[in-house]
Amino acid sequence: MRLTVVGNPDNRRVDLFTRAVLDAGLPRPAVLPWADVLTGAAPPTAGTLVRVDSPGEDAEVGRLLRRSAAPARHGELIGLADTYAGLLRGLGRVAAGGAELLSDPADVAVLCDKRRCHARLSAAGVPVPAALPPVHGWESLRAAMAETRWSRVFVKPAHGSSAAGVVALAVAGRRVQAVTTIEATPDALFNSLRPRRYTDETEVAAIVDRIAGDGLHVERWLPKAGIGDRVVDVRVVTVAGRPTHVVVRAARGPLTNLHLGNARGDLAELRAAAGPAAWAAAMETCERVAGCFPRTLQVGIDLMFLVGWRRHAVAEVNAFGDLLPGVLTDGRDTYAEQVRALTDGRWTRWRSASDREPVRVGATDREATHVGAAGREMLSCGA
Amino acid sequence: MAFGSHARHFAGRPVVDVPVDGPLPTVDGPVSWRFSVWHFDQTAVADQLSEEFRVAFDRFVAQAGPSVESLVIGAWGYAAFHPAPIAQLCASASRLPALRALFLGDMTSEECEVSWMKVGDVSPLLTAYPQLESLTVRGGEELAFSPVRHARLRELAVQSGGLPRAFVGAVLDSELPALTDLELWLGTPDYGGDAEVADLAPLLAGERFPGLRRLGLRNAEIADDLARALAAAPVVPRLERLDLSLGTLGDEGAAALLAGQPLTHLAELDLHHHYLSDEAAASVTAALPGVRVDVSDQQEPDEYDDESYRYTAVSE
Repeated sequence: MRLTVVGNPDNRRVDLFTRAVLDAGLPRPAVLPWADVLTGAAPPTAGTLVRVDSPGEDAEVGRLLRRSAAPARHGELIGLADTYAGLLRGLGRVAAGGAELLSDPADVAVLCDKRRCHARLSAAGVPVPAALPPVHGWESLRAAMAETRWSRVFVKPAHGSSAAGVVALAVAGRRVQAVTTIEATPDALFNSLRPRRYTDETEVAAIVDRIAGDGLHVERWLPKAGIGDRVVDVRVVTVAGRPTHVVVRAARGPLTNLHLGNARGDLAELRAAAGPAAWAAAMETCERVAGCFPRTLQVGIDLMFLVGWRRHAVAEVNAFGDLLPGVLTDGRDTYAEQVRALTDGRWTRWRSASDREPVRVGATDREATHVGAAGREMLSCGA
Repeated sequence: MAFGSHARHFAGRPVVDVPVDGPLPTVDGPVSWRFSVWHFDQTAVADQLSEEFRVAFDRFVAQAGPSVESLVIGAWGYAAFHPAPIAQLCASASRLPALRALFLGDMTSEECEVSWMKVGDVSPLLTAYPQLESLTVRGGEELAFSPVRHARLRELAVQSGGLPRAFVGAVLDSELPALTDLELWLGTPDYGGDAEVADLAPLLAGERFPGLRRLGLRNAEIADDLARALAAAPVVPRLERLDLSLGTLGDEGAAALLAGQPLTHLAELDLHHHYLSDEAAASVTAALPGVRVDVSDQQEPDEYDDESYRYTAVSE
């Protein structure tokens, strides 16, 4: 087996995967830096298995993705649509040599566009929060919220990763509250690691207008369940279609991402709170999500249980969501699990199943599902 | 920052959800029933009771009313938009003859910011339920109270991100001869919590509520001021439990508390969620060997532009 990792060589993701490969007794994988991919390096050749990892956390790679003259400043939220275009371009180059990618470029293209991802999940019957029709700024957002009578929404940059640029927005009459990692300066937006609360409508409107340029996806804010004083959700990594690793994210506010100072929660406690039926239904949903990306070895699913624990919904699916250091299942972390799936036949079976059932995800993922006030909000989780 | 989850116990009983439809589940002991109607759309008319809530609650009362001893009311629609069902609860009193404990507003920040919850004046509940023994309410800006007389109420807890001076005054002006347990979440001025130590004077002086055994002055930005006042407050010797948790208590407040009157008679001193240094926290525990002291959940102040900021646990 010949393995290549496309990634940023200094990033720990590459180290962790490399270590998992070596631990499995396989030869050291070649590392193809994103920076080289984007500047014309030869792609891996046919017969190579290619793990594609995140191009993030590297200012120079970011610059190349955006085809910009200057690198972004630290934490700067800039050029998300251009970055997305660059990612697709890069994936095309990686695939051009005929190698087998563990993350299918077409799947990644959907995963990194929250509008398309939402539509694909929705079409496959995955419970997701309902979404607004396209909005282009504060005014059209408020108009769409008034139309649907939604008072709480998550405003997400269409191509954002993790919580970057996400705004949890609540309105009631003239009152407005936005919780977001965005910190606005006169000439730029920055992602801070500490969510802030804005209550001044002018300020919130300016932020939304500024992130709208790169496309927005707006979903209804469904109330998440909590444990103790924390709001919780779960990141579930699926490998070859099955949930293998779970981490509980416990937050004191609506944004649960772990890099925002939130804590890992207690999985046993969460499962006890949800009860076996709701948990099983949630894991079934995760399998259904994985089935929406049938040529991709792993996805990272953010699944929220709703208040009362009887229902759940999928908030996000991440193409590069498998960095869960120290989370072990049967002694294996997410990387070891993926390497094992390559050697024990699961990857081959998973991929060939997708070849036999090309219509498995449905043909409707081009169009967004726009659910109005009278529309279906989500499927019951069956518990 | 906020309320994260629903109450699992209330009034010493486990909380059991009332199903959306269908019969009540069988229970093998006393429970607190939790009733909520979960919808978050703004309806055409603001400031009116959620119609969905009204209908469903009526059905619940008709179905189970006489057996309900303890009730937790969660979401009543979108609480920033729909007012709390206080009038409906009051009108249901004759059909809830066994009700002894009520918690109004058990919702999390995912359901509604506490400061946006439209609750209004809660004292009519006490007038409508003369047999009530325990009342907990959660709410924000529009939370209000009028002086009442109530012969049976043993426990009163008011959870808020900011409790106005007028609210505190009306509670202290009430005749509550049976009250043993009082909990006020004072909050911060940013959310209407403008009550100061002076506003609590009759309480601290021991002139109110002769049966008081547990006093909670929680979630308070004025926690250090409270600690200084409690160090000499005549009410303290008859307390069994003192609760200054969830606030911004710092070393200064803890030192004042320890330097004041003896606290060794207390069964419990709850200071969790505080800004004490390790040394100060340890000295409180060491000074009160027979007391259950809770100094868990130590907080770090935020440093920003050379200023240091402390936050109460619930501040929104």
